[in-house]
Amino acid sequence: MRIKKITCLGIFAVGLFLTSSILTAKPRTPEMLSNTCAGCHGTNGASAAGPMPIIGGMSKRYLSQTLKDYKSGKRPSTIMGRIARGYSDLELEAIASFMASQPWVKAKVKTNGKMVKEGAKLHAKQCETCHENNGANTGELPKLSGQYPDYLFGQLRLFHEIGGSLPQPTQMRKRIQKLSAEELDALSHFYASQK
Amino acid sequence: MKKLDRRDFLKTAGGAIALGGLGFPFILQAGKTKARVVVIGAGYGGAIAAKYIRMADPDIEVTLIEKDKRYVSCPLSNEVLSGERDVKSLTFGFSGLTGHGIKVVNDLVTEIDPVKKIIKTKSGQNFSFDKAVVSPGVAFKWNEIKGYDEAASKILPHAWKAGEQTVLLRKQLLSMKDGGKVYILAPPNPFRCPPGPYERAAQIALYLKHHKPKSKVIILDAKDKFSKAKLFKQGWQQHYGDMIEWVAGAAGGIVESVNPKARTMQGQVEEYKGDVINVIPAQKAGAIAFATGLTNEKGWCPVNQETFESTIHKDIYVIGDSCIAGSMPKSGYAANSQGKVCAANIIAAVNGGEVPEPSYVNTCYSIIAPKHGISVAKVYKLKEGKIKGIKGSGGLSPLFASPLTREMEASYAIGWFKNVTADMFT
Ligand SMILES: Cc1cc2nc3c(=O)[nH]c(=O)nc-3n(C[C@H](O)[C@H](O)[C@H](O)COP(=O)(O)OP(=O)(O)OC[C@H]3O[C@@H](n4cnc5c(N)ncnc54)[C@H](O)[C@@H]3O)c2cc1C
Ligand code: HEC
Repeated sequence: MRIKKITCLGIFAVGLFLTSSILTAKPRTPEMLSNTCAGCHGTNGASAAGPMPIIGGMSKRYLSQTLKDYKSGKRPSTIMGRIARGYSDLELEAIASFMASQPWVKAKVKTNGKMVKEGAKLHAKQCETCHENNGANTGELPKLSGQYPDYLFGQLRLFHEIGGSLPQPTQMRKRIQKLSAEELDALSHFYASQK
Repeated sequence: MKKLDRRDFLKTAGGAIALGGLGFPFILQAGKTKARVVVIGAGYGGAIAAKYIRMADPDIEVTLIEKDKRYVSCPLSNEVLSGERDVKSLTFGFSGLTGHGIKVVNDLVTEIDPVKKIIKTKSGQNFSFDKAVVSPGVAFKWNEIKGYDEAASKILPHAWKAGEQTVLLRKQLLSMKDGGKVYILAPPNPFRCPPGPYERAAQIALYLKHHKPKSKVIILDAKDKFSKAKLFKQGWQQHYGDMIEWVAGAAGGIVESVNPKARTMQGQVEEYKGDVINVIPAQKAGAIAFATGLTNEKGWCPVNQETFESTIHKDIYVIGDSCIAGSMPKSGYAANSQGKVCAANIIAAVNGGEVPEPSYVNTCYSIIAPKHGISVAKVYKLKEGKIKGIKGSGGLSPLFASPLTREMEASYAIGWFKNVTADMFT
């Protein structure tokens, strides 16, 4: 298996798109692979409702790193680890490319004005240095602006609860752990209110 | 862009009227129709196959024939029994699908002629096709439990197709006295939604706990094992104590006959009497699959598991509960995934492309209590012509998980439902 994987890497180093699954003779196309995500994340990753996160239109870099972190267990998850382990790393790259090329369709939710204001202040103080542009900048970072607030709140609660290892920087975890549930909820509403 | 000639225009006009004045980009794109595909059943499999064919190739004409005016989802219908939601929240119309340029026809398919390639309906319409997709869900094996037929289901509901039957079961729970006994007769394998009966027990107990706490839920099972058993038993105990009892087939769970009027059941060992009895009958492929000769001796449809084309009739594809899909269970997520693989194959066949290598996923969430969700998942691939789970992928929620994890899974279950139905109907 190991050896085959390396061969694959060699052959397809140029066109990751045409990545062959290690286990099958023919390549599984990026569409074929990515369509399996839509039952949970919505057609082309444009989630229709929280707490399922929108993934279509995030950066390729973030998506592929995150999927690999789920697969290795580095990033805690309720279900993504179990899903990501069904794909080779090259397939995860192909899926990341496909999802990154989809339009970002902002969350369809009403946000609470008071919480948005409170969240804006917290963001400026605690998060903007890395999650620039009100959480809109992606790249190696997740896109926070326009994401479903219940998804973000769930993740923040999880990061707050987990003391152990996370792929995110310790700085971030420390800051999150100092905030109350209400403050984390306010932050989530703030991001959801952005584009 | 091609100019529409009169015939093309007339062809698409039917679809256009149904759209009622919205924008119809598909009309502008529609060149010559490359092929006519007719999909039977607008459920978890059929709606997806129809939509994904149109999304990828608007030059394929797709007609979707569904017997009901609206689709009522079985997933989350157990929550109607607890009172957590109503049937309306599970009901979907087809305007989103017409928006993709699919012609939706409200009629019952009575005959598929696999040689002449014509589909006939109850109201006398004929549809000729190049490719047909059949996704009719399941039919019940009436009288496998003696005395349990369609008429009996009006007294002892099955509620295994959501809608009226779900409401009937809910009403019976509402009018039951405190201290009553609710029986769930769980079916033999294979059946749609393997964790469904056990989630149902929890949702009924959720209602009883708050309104009729002296009552009991007893599952009489035709089997000796069931899906996510440890997780269910743990959750039942945690939220409902001893209210839920499970009787394995070998321990007397197999029921041979029912008397609907007396509300009694004859088991292999003893007789049971219940206040509310939910009989989930043994299942087989949908009626139209039998009428077309698409089934094998076991009552399910053998297909090429790479394409979902029937191994019995060429150019007819069977997806969802009715088909035999290797290791995949009969579930809504599985039907969704199969619908997409089937669509990709039809597109390739019509356009002369290569058969794409398939990828499939299944996930089933179950909600034991409002903040307690569990799941099972798997990613699949084709191996030697059969759909097989990929080693290391998927599996169950952990048996020992924090309350936050359980709470998150319950909310993801609802997020899943909203997205999978949006994937179908928008
Ligand atoms: C209580 C319960 C809970 C469930 N929960 C889950 C869950 O949480 N997750 C999950 O993944 N799955 C769940 N399922 C399973 C899921 O409902 C089925 O597996 C899924 O609906 C199968 O899709 P299908 O397309 O094969 O059939 P269906 O979705 O049943 O669609 C078949 C459609 O075809 C139509 N039809 C049939 N015959 C004809 C004909 N001759 N002419 C015209 N129209 C016709 C029917 O009216 C129907 O609309 C649950 C099932 C039950 C009963
Ligand atoms: C069964 C439902 C389900 C399926 C199928 C699924 N996901 Fe997820 N996804 C989730 C959930 C739930 C989360 C939140 C993390 C968790 O608890 O697992 C998530 C989180 C994610 C995230 C993190 C988003 C962020 O902002 O950091 C990415 C990326 C992602 N999924 C990508 C995918 C891709 C790609 C696929 C298909 C290969 C996929 N998912 C299939 C349910 C699903």
